[in-house]
Amino acid sequence: MHRNRKLVLGLGLMAFCITQAANGADLKSVIEMPDASAILKKDRLAPPKKYTMPAGCITTDLSAIARGEYIFHNLNGKKAKKSPPKGLPKYIVVNGKKKPKQYGNCVACHNIEGAIGGGNIGPDLHRYKELFIDTGVRSFQYVYQHIADPRVHNKNTHMTVNLTTGLFTPREICEIASYVVSDKKKD
Amino acid sequence: MKKIISLVAVSALSLTLAMGAEQYSMSDADRALYKEMLENNPADIFVDEGNELFDEMVTEESLAKFLGVDIDDLPKTIAGFPRYIPQVDEVLGLDQVMQAVMYLNGYKPFKLKSAEMFSMLAYAKSLANDEPINIDVDANEKMKKAYALGTKVFMMKRGKRGLSCNSCHSKEVTGLILRTQPLPDLGEVNTAGTWPAYRMTKSSLRTLQRRFQGCMKNALLAVIPIGSKEMVALEVYVTNLAKEKGKKIAIPGLKR
Ligand code: HEC
Ligand code: HEC
Repeated sequence: MHRNRKLVLGLGLMAFCITQAANGADLKSVIEMPDASAILKKDRLAPPKKYTMPAGCITTDLSAIARGEYIFHNLNGKKAKKSPPKGLPKYIVVNGKKKPKQYGNCVACHNIEGAIGGGNIGPDLHRYKELFIDTGVRSFQYVYQHIADPRVHNKNTHMTVNLTTGLFTPREICEIASYVVSDKKKD
Repeated sequence: MKKIISLVAVSALSLTLAMGAEQYSMSDADRALYKEMLENNPADIFVDEGNELFDEMVTEESLAKFLGVDIDDLPKTIAGFPRYIPQVDEVLGLDQVMQAVMYLNGYKPFKLKSAEMFSMLAYAKSLANDEPINIDVDANEKMKKAYALGTKVFMMKRGKRGLSCNSCHSKEVTGLILRTQPLPDLGEVNTAGTWPAYRMTKSSLRTLQRRFQGCMKNALLAVIPIGSKEMVALEVYVTNLAKEKGKKIAIPGLKR
């Protein structure tokens, strides 16, 4: 039954195609079918990469932690309301064009001290130092690697890749990690 | 007559949206505005405009003829897009098919990303309102290929944050909160059946492929063009999600 209907439809189309045959090539030129394969190829993510955190990476330097905190809580320089701390730009120049600097927006997925509208896709990072670092459950190196490229720990992760993609520099990853593992007094 | 159709559509839509609304976290003010807009979806103006353009440059007769179907079967056929179109041997969206029909009718086709095409697409798709989505991803080799490509593009991690569509729309994370936004299950919320929609946060009518571009832009994935094979394939994939949930066409949608 279903088959018959398809057959009838097919025949109808064939008859129609014959009357319209002259237009086949024309049609291809009037219907927009832009190519996206090159864009996708260029945009592909490189394989997971292991990193060793640089010397002096995790710091208690307050200005470094402040930058890490800012990156953690904001999406980009255009969306961010407060001005960034010293040493962190709001806009950068890419190929001669002024673009908002991208930040981590970690708060989209993680709750943490002082989060506004924190998400719950990733684990809650409240009291991270006390619960994970001080207990020896996690090392600084682990945190650095997880932010740089979490796929090394979980190949099916839903988390963002931050260093392999070139979004941040190793120094910025250190600053973000330093913030995550810092002692936070406020709740 | 047309007015009655669109009235019926809107009330059917209010029902589906009223149910969907519970899942969304909105402020009371937003909710009040949303409720008010439901009764008077701003998209109706665009659908009316699309209706005028369609009746002049496309017409139900020409569209049915191009698709090789009886005019009475047009709604059912529209509810099965994207479809394999033998004339060009490609899987196409309804907007692309309308480009072909406009041309055959002696008009210069609207650009896929033009406001006119968005309106016309909303109207044309609304002709299928209340029809169950019936895309057949196994219809033939080309449809199978489009579905496979759509799946691949949906799963492909890319961009400056290394995310895929699946990172935020897989079964494992839907319903969780991404910065105050619940991650929607694209099948369950009937994404395929509710776009084109009026997007309140953008104050404009947006199509499904335009919405895909929004997520790409937000998540720093390189934005791919509307009408590309990969974009149509994504639409095939997302449309099948809604079909699997037994969803119907309900155009125009109203979105946060
Ligand atoms: C799109 C969601 C998402 C975003 C954005 C995100 N994360 Fe995560 N994060 C996760 C998930 C999910 C996990 C759980 C482990 C896994 O699957 O990778 C995780 C795990 C972690 C962990 C490991 C916790 C532990 O000890 O097990 C740290 C640290 C972390 N994220 C920090 C960050 C930082 C810093 C950022 C921003 C630069 C960030 N995350 C952005 C989803 C996210
Ligand atoms: C970083 C997370 C993230 C990524 C990556 C992402 N999305 Fe989304 N998407 C969301 C959120 C959050 C919403 C809901 C936003 C809202 O309600 O306004 C959404 C909504 C949508 C909607 C609208 C659903 C509806 O019917 O209202 C579509 C369609 C969609 N996404 C498709 C995609 C596609 C296709 C991709 C990949 C190219 C993608 N998304 C990638 C987070 C994401």
